[in-house]
Amino acid sequence: MPRIVRGVLITALVVVVLIWLESGFGASPGFQTVLPDAAWRQLVLFAMVNVVIALSLNVINGMAGQFSIGHAGFVGIGAYTGALVAGHLHVRLGSGDPQFANSFIVMPLVLLASGTIAALFGLLVGLPSLRLRGDYLAIVTLGFAEIFRLVIATAQTGGTAEGSVAKFLASLGGQNGYAGPEGNGVPQYAGPFWIFGSVIVATLIAWRIKFSGWGRALRALREDEIAASAVGVDPTRYKVVSFVIAAAGAGVAGGLFASMHDGSPTVQPDSFTFVQSFDAITMVILGGSGSVSGAIVGGVFVTVTVKLIEQLQGLESIQAFRADHPSIDLNALRMVVYAAVLIGLMILRPEGLFGEREIFRRKRPKKGGGDPDNNAAQKSQSTQESTQDSENSTPADKESTESASSKQATSETLTTAEGTAS
Amino acid sequence: MKILNAIIAGVAQGSMIALVSLGYTMVYGILKLINFAHSEVFMMGAFFGLFLTVGFGLDTSPMFAGVAGTLAAMVLAGLLGALVEKVAYAPLRARSGGRSNTNTRITPLVTALGMSVLLQNLAQLLFTARYRSYPQLLPIENARTIVFVVAVVVMIALQFLVYGTWFGKAMRAVSVNVEAARLMGIRTGRVISMTFVTGSMLAALGGILYCLSQSQVYPTMGVVIGTRSFVAAVIGGIGSIPGAVLGGVLIGVIGELTKLTPYSGLQDVIIFTVLIVVLLVRPSGLLGKAGIEKV
Amino acid sequence: MSELVLKNVTKRFGGLRAVGDVSFTVPEQSIFGLIGPNGAGKTTVFNLITGVYKPDAGSAIRFGETDLLPLKPPMIARLGIARTFQNIRLFGQLSVIENVLVASEKNRKAHLGAALLRLPIFYRDESETYDKALELLRIFDLHKMADETSTSLSYGNQRRLEIARAMMLKPKMLLLDEPAAGMNYGEAEGLKKQIHWLRDEFKLTVVLVEHNMQVVMGVCEELHVLDHGETIAHGTPEHVKKDPKVLAAYLGEEASESTTEAAP
Repeated sequence: MPRIVRGVLITALVVVVLIWLESGFGASPGFQTVLPDAAWRQLVLFAMVNVVIALSLNVINGMAGQFSIGHAGFVGIGAYTGALVAGHLHVRLGSGDPQFANSFIVMPLVLLASGTIAALFGLLVGLPSLRLRGDYLAIVTLGFAEIFRLVIATAQTGGTAEGSVAKFLASLGGQNGYAGPEGNGVPQYAGPFWIFGSVIVATLIAWRIKFSGWGRALRALREDEIAASAVGVDPTRYKVVSFVIAAAGAGVAGGLFASMHDGSPTVQPDSFTFVQSFDAITMVILGGSGSVSGAIVGGVFVTVTVKLIEQLQGLESIQAFRADHPSIDLNALRMVVYAAVLIGLMILRPEGLFGEREIFRRKRPKKGGGDPDNNAAQKSQSTQESTQDSENSTPADKESTESASSKQATSETLTTAEGTAS
Repeated sequence: MKILNAIIAGVAQGSMIALVSLGYTMVYGILKLINFAHSEVFMMGAFFGLFLTVGFGLDTSPMFAGVAGTLAAMVLAGLLGALVEKVAYAPLRARSGGRSNTNTRITPLVTALGMSVLLQNLAQLLFTARYRSYPQLLPIENARTIVFVVAVVVMIALQFLVYGTWFGKAMRAVSVNVEAARLMGIRTGRVISMTFVTGSMLAALGGILYCLSQSQVYPTMGVVIGTRSFVAAVIGGIGSIPGAVLGGVLIGVIGELTKLTPYSGLQDVIIFTVLIVVLLVRPSGLLGKAGIEKV
Repeated sequence: MSELVLKNVTKRFGGLRAVGDVSFTVPEQSIFGLIGPNGAGKTTVFNLITGVYKPDAGSAIRFGETDLLPLKPPMIARLGIARTFQNIRLFGQLSVIENVLVASEKNRKAHLGAALLRLPIFYRDESETYDKALELLRIFDLHKMADETSTSLSYGNQRRLEIARAMMLKPKMLLLDEPAAGMNYGEAEGLKKQIHWLRDEFKLTVVLVEHNMQVVMGVCEELHVLDHGETIAHGTPEHVKKDPKVLAAYLGEEASESTTEAAP
């Protein structure tokens, strides 16, 4: 089956399944059929948003080896942008309950806006700090995320604000969070269709970046920047573009987060603190930096533990225990454990769970284009030839026969290449 | 007059930041590592100072308790710094010694960040997240002068330590080339430990001085001051001791001056803007030397 | 014409003058040797040509019509000047063939957009560069270890992989920094043949920094001798070999013996 036909069929199938999850084709939505418990559904959606965060961070942290520790800042920018766009569009569409049909108008614009704005900020942050070799990105991203949060959280709310910027910031609700233009909550358009869809697209993008020349160049930069620039890879360009891609991915995740089904109706600055950035790093490192499947596993795992602790804190026995020991902060305990695990992992197994490997991965990229079968046959043949050559020859004259046979091989492939090209 | 006052206050505030910056810059100079945990050593030092000062008998003789508590807190913080290095960083160095393994750059950064998160949350567990008031040891009108004088004396002492003693020479040798220093018979492990001890002691002193002027202490206090201090080190030229001092004072003054404007909340925005401008114009920092990378 | 011209090139590191007023011209398609005792500034000259360091004021470096001074290393590489490193710099965690493939970024027709959409041009591009890389690996007898990580290779193989990677750039000029370091007599002989073959096959200019006189005298057509950053001799190997300044400053008893031995 030709690649294009197969691609179209798979896409169609995926879209149908996603629509079924969301709408159920008249019957009850598939997502509710699969997971009747609302808490579980929320957990799954939340995990998927985190997977998008982990996948995007993995591009810059894992593949390019540049340490960004303010990823939550970009998620936050995306979330606020998305909430603004969704909120205003929702009013235009006549408010009421968010309809699935309307989400095809709202969500594309939300995700586009979130991704673009976050990408612009990514460019702003990345350009000065990635020009330099060294760890400046770490400190600049940390500061940037913190500033973003502080600017929003400390914005003067109430009627005192003057100037368009101050008024705009005030409209975002400060510490209490943004609840849409009418103050009755951000409309929740992002259901399973959009969230699962985004995860699939994000996975595809991450995968295709990794297994392309671009990804190879990024990994080469990570290993040795000087050697990479000596073979024509421009470090600044590759790093900045990758950072912008990562920021855009985080922005999209933020857009999803802001208007997620069963999510919080407000977007609050406290959802984008350093703790969230650190969680994102944990997702990437735990799974294995550079591994796409590792980022997915890491994202799911971290979300589950975070939610588990939230659930535990609701239990009566835990609440009684906390009443007796007010100093025991389960979240602080979780962070201590995470940090300890991370340090231990770095010391014992710095490559993470999967290393750079993937769960489903053919050993060598299958070659497409032209005439793959013919290529392979020719290759194995010439490999055999040279093997025989080197077996029969003494070490001293091995070099000469080798270069002779390779010369022959070179000219052969050159002619065949010309043949196929014309 | 207002401006002059703000500048004076800024210099005092900045000299305290500079004390913390020195720890960052020394560790970076020697290991090329951003020691994220440094800001938490700063916080821990302040807590040690609080408990020890109270423990030494605040009511009977506040002067003695203050000085002894501060010195003891510095020693404890120094030990903590050395412990952090031994637990989190030394094993990485030992392993990556032979070959360059994957992510050599990211691995120590993750460890450092992990150490920072660990210490901060440990402090929350041990001391709870609430703000504690710090005993008012210094007369409020003289606090700035004392902070400033102490900071200047310590910096002069540090300058002497680095450029006038055998240990300082060893430290500088290690910062140029760890392997060569080892071959010359310098016990590099010990030099690195001592660098952490020195930096951590300064951080604890900075923490206590900070608390004396702000009169409260809490587990997350390291985040803001730590970040500002690191930015100060980068602006001044990371790896350079006078650079860290200059950067610290600069940030202190900027901070106090912004308080005069209606945008006092945007202090850190301005500081980071300055950082980005410096990175664009003079990547090696105001007093830093452009490093020559051997190829 | 794409000859390499260095004029009055000077580079100071602090007070140390690593390279002082060096001028030479590398003719197109020649094999040019840059020799001198340790610390003579040979590698620094390579770093100046490839843009890793920038020379002091008054220096001029041109490649053909292009002034190299304002260019950064990736641009210089894209002009067709490829190099290897004295202390091997491979991409450790990448496989052998990936190391070579990285150098194809310059000649890539399918860019990031095409890769993300997996357009037909992406597959064609991958397949073509893959074949080309395998071909180069075969030339250097590394094709059987194409999928191993580059750190697992022996020292000699790592050196050859570096040359293969440099060749993937389709360079006009190849700068080899001590390619024979750590090679035995037989391997060095093989290297000599390979350098000649590469030049003839790919119409390359080769500049060689090398201590191994067997290789230098056997393969170079023109030599430039540096000592303490300054030029002390220039000419054909026969000429340089007899130059008393060179003998005194550099070759010494032992080395000159091995030279006569190795001379064909």
